[in-house]
Amino acid sequence: MSDKFILAIPSKGRLMEKALAQFEECGLQITKTGHERGYIGEIKELPQVEVSFQSASEIVHFLKNGRIHMGVTGEDLTREYITNADARVNFLKKLGFGHADVVVAIPTCWIDVSRMIDLEEIASTFRKRHGRRMRVATKYMNLTRGFFSKCGVMNYRIVESLGATEGTPMAGTADLIVDITSTGTTLVANHLKILDDGVILESEANLISSKSADWTSIASEISNEIIARLDA
Amino acid sequence: MTAEAVKQFQDLEAQADAIMAVFSDAGYEYVAPAIIQPADVFLDVVGESIRGRTYVFTDPDGEELCLRPDMTVPTARLYLERFPEADSRARYAYNGAAFRFRSAGDAAIDPREFRHAGVESIGGMERDIEDAKILAILIEAVESAGLKDYRLKFGDLGLFQALLNALKVPKRWQTRLRHQFWKPDTFRTLVQKLSSEDERALSNVPKELQERLDPSKPSNAKKELGAYLEANNIPLIGARTLAEITAHLLEEVEDVRTEPLSTEAANLIESYVGITAPPRAAGARIEDLVSESGIDLGAEIDAFRRRIDRMSEAGIDFANAEFSAEFGRNLEYYTGLVFEINVDSLNGRLPIAGGGRYDDLLKSIGASHTVPGVGGAIHTERLMAAVRGEL
Repeated sequence: MSDKFILAIPSKGRLMEKALAQFEECGLQITKTGHERGYIGEIKELPQVEVSFQSASEIVHFLKNGRIHMGVTGEDLTREYITNADARVNFLKKLGFGHADVVVAIPTCWIDVSRMIDLEEIASTFRKRHGRRMRVATKYMNLTRGFFSKCGVMNYRIVESLGATEGTPMAGTADLIVDITSTGTTLVANHLKILDDGVILESEANLISSKSADWTSIASEISNEIIARLDA
Repeated sequence: MTAEAVKQFQDLEAQADAIMAVFSDAGYEYVAPAIIQPADVFLDVVGESIRGRTYVFTDPDGEELCLRPDMTVPTARLYLERFPEADSRARYAYNGAAFRFRSAGDAAIDPREFRHAGVESIGGMERDIEDAKILAILIEAVESAGLKDYRLKFGDLGLFQALLNALKVPKRWQTRLRHQFWKPDTFRTLVQKLSSEDERALSNVPKELQERLDPSKPSNAKKELGAYLEANNIPLIGARTLAEITAHLLEEVEDVRTEPLSTEAANLIESYVGITAPPRAAGARIEDLVSESGIDLGAEIDAFRRRIDRMSEAGIDFANAEFSAEFGRNLEYYTGLVFEINVDSLNGRLPIAGGGRYDDLLKSIGASHTVPGVGGAIHTERLMAAVRGEL
């Protein structure tokens, strides 16, 4: 590891644009060095900082193993991919963009189910009738397990879904889903509704630091400087 | 400290020899159940807290397997393989590795690969005697390994179930209460909910529809619900049929029309779960509590008292023992006695040994009838660290 301070920024889409805009507003202009499509950048005001453009989930893995000091990524991915997240990273600041709720959604026609505990009630009948447990499609396997367990729901099976999760109940490959939603339109279009107590996490983009990175005194100073600027 | 550390291996083996000698002298047969277990059967019966920590994998044939996260279920499966009719008496002992995921930041004393040494008694009909025997032999085993200062903790899931039955709590509410039993705050909220009319209202089902549903006429109700969904452009998607949805909805409607849990019953449940006392005193307090309310706990309270007597006779010292009504291991399969052996240095958070009665387990993994069973296991790494004062 060099004595560089490494800051990771999402490498594409609105997350990248909003992150760059927010840093710029605070007087920290991030510019790409070299090739326009490259993945390295710099901040003129803070020359010790190396900016690394990565996918949002890659940033989470780098925060986990300490390969970067700080990164901008979603709280949802961070809590999903880092068990015991609060012990391993610091959630420094909510950045006010990239809003998405991780929710439990069921078919709207399940008019008899409105709370998590109702799921457990219908589960044993479901199993007897259909010869299998209810299937929950999600890419958030850890968040789902933790939340279902907290709510006392045991009788289900997770099926991993890496895309078009909202469509799985209609397609018959799952019975309910755990997924992110920002406006709820996609859920409605797929005839799904969110359970009354089914919001697992109100996620947004966060500035996060890794506890296992190489924290030299210079790195700590830079970190404080960035936080102070963003707080101003 | 993990069992993977080579230098600990021989010390753990020596400790295991001492423990296994106690078990085999008492007539327990040494067995070695499979380490790799079918995920399905296994995950069905362990609690979600363990399920989330189980190493599950898929083999090249697509079969879902897991590394056993405890020894009780594999031992029960071994019993069923030997006795498919589940008609025999068996006393098994084991010492083997089990596996649970640990995240960074978890206690080092709690490695992901650990060894459980324990005993299981399956098919014994004299439950109170078997309960006492299992606890007594585990105590003898930890003492033979050198453990001196420890505390015993008891709970009784059978008593809680008996209380709910005696209070004539509707079946659906019983399920909910049992599921939340381990989480004191959620549990309290739920008890309050069930005793309040407003909280039970079906807020998501329109009043007009609710009024048209008659629990005694399910097929009419199915038509009503079908018409309602159609009128509101709600398509029927997924595996649950209209009949299934109607059936559950009718249960809920009936629920709303049922009297709420009485304040007396709610208070009684809360007082019961608050009981913490030495075993004999706890028995007396439970009896006082229910007799004031004119409730009969029937055979369960007798069994509770008999069990304490049997434990005394088996030489178990209650000087450092505590009964806690809300204590239960967070495993779905326990049905009666639950216990732990704790040391202060681990704060009681990580028990040295634990176990309990699991009368429904054999049936849930394939036996044709209910087979009583009770057992317990020692966390050998924790035991060794406690004996050596390394905590």
